[in-house]
Amino acid sequence: MDEYQAEEETAFVVEEVSKIIKESVEAAIGGNAYQHSRVNQWSTSVVEQCLSQLSKLGKPFKYIVTCIITQKNGAGLQTASTCFWDNSSDGSCAVRWENKSMYCIVNVFGLAL
Amino acid sequence: MVHGCHDNTKLYGASYFVLLGSRRPEIDKAVIMSDLLKDKSQRREKRAGKLPSEGSHGVRGKETTGKTKDSISTVSYIDELAHHDDNPRMAVTMENTYQMDILKDVLTSYLQEEEYEGEWSQKMTKTISEVIRARVKDLMIPRYKIVVLVHIGQLTGQSMQISSRCLWDAANDTFASYSFKNSSLFGVATVYAVYFE
Repeated sequence: MDEYQAEEETAFVVEEVSKIIKESVEAAIGGNAYQHSRVNQWSTSVVEQCLSQLSKLGKPFKYIVTCIITQKNGAGLQTASTCFWDNSSDGSCAVRWENKSMYCIVNVFGLAL
Repeated sequence: MVHGCHDNTKLYGASYFVLLGSRRPEIDKAVIMSDLLKDKSQRREKRAGKLPSEGSHGVRGKETTGKTKDSISTVSYIDELAHHDDNPRMAVTMENTYQMDILKDVLTSYLQEEEYEGEWSQKMTKTISEVIRARVKDLMIPRYKIVVLVHIGQLTGQSMQISSRCLWDAANDTFASYSFKNSSLFGVATVYAVYFE
């Protein structure tokens, strides 16, 4: 195991993670309309796909993936997060996706080991 | 295949938040407290292990369940499939209930009588998450990184699902969450604590 890895290998790369999230969301809930009975299964599958793709990246990170799926009906929603971590090695990425009937917000936090 | 400097294996587990329509804060604490003990006993639903865990909140719109109460209690169950002999890290696991108290305190004091309003909520979410982070830091638990997530939303009968899953070391890492509701808004706060080697 390399003790000294290049910067690129061990940093949290936001674009890469953002791409993974978008793909996972699209694959899991892409063409669907909001259905209360299925939302549980959808959010699980979004989160699981994200997590498995992230772990395939093979980086020395612990990940926290959060997903919010909400029906569109004009309601407002605010989300904020603060973190106490090491700014140089840890990072987060939030992706907001929507279709005609719902919003999906995915947050990924990566904490370096 | 394990990456990283330590050789802990990451296995599977899940934690479930069950949304209860009634207020049962004692049960929350009881369930979380027994989580703290992290015994080797398998009689309870909780077992120690290093696993990714997942939590979810479902907030149902008023029209679907017809339940509207002033506060929502969430009960978490941690189901883990493997057995572990690791040191229980009592100091760390204790923080789970303290965090719940902090979250409950902060959310109720900031949101109790408020109405949802766009600008105000934006500021509120940031303020609340910073206050929670400061209070958790005050607990002075060494070698832990903290992530605080706060959601404030308007209640207009819509349905929503919030879930999360983590790839971490379940023996040392943990999370706590609390949700609050009043007549016009709901607030959910989640704190994740990740051990830093």
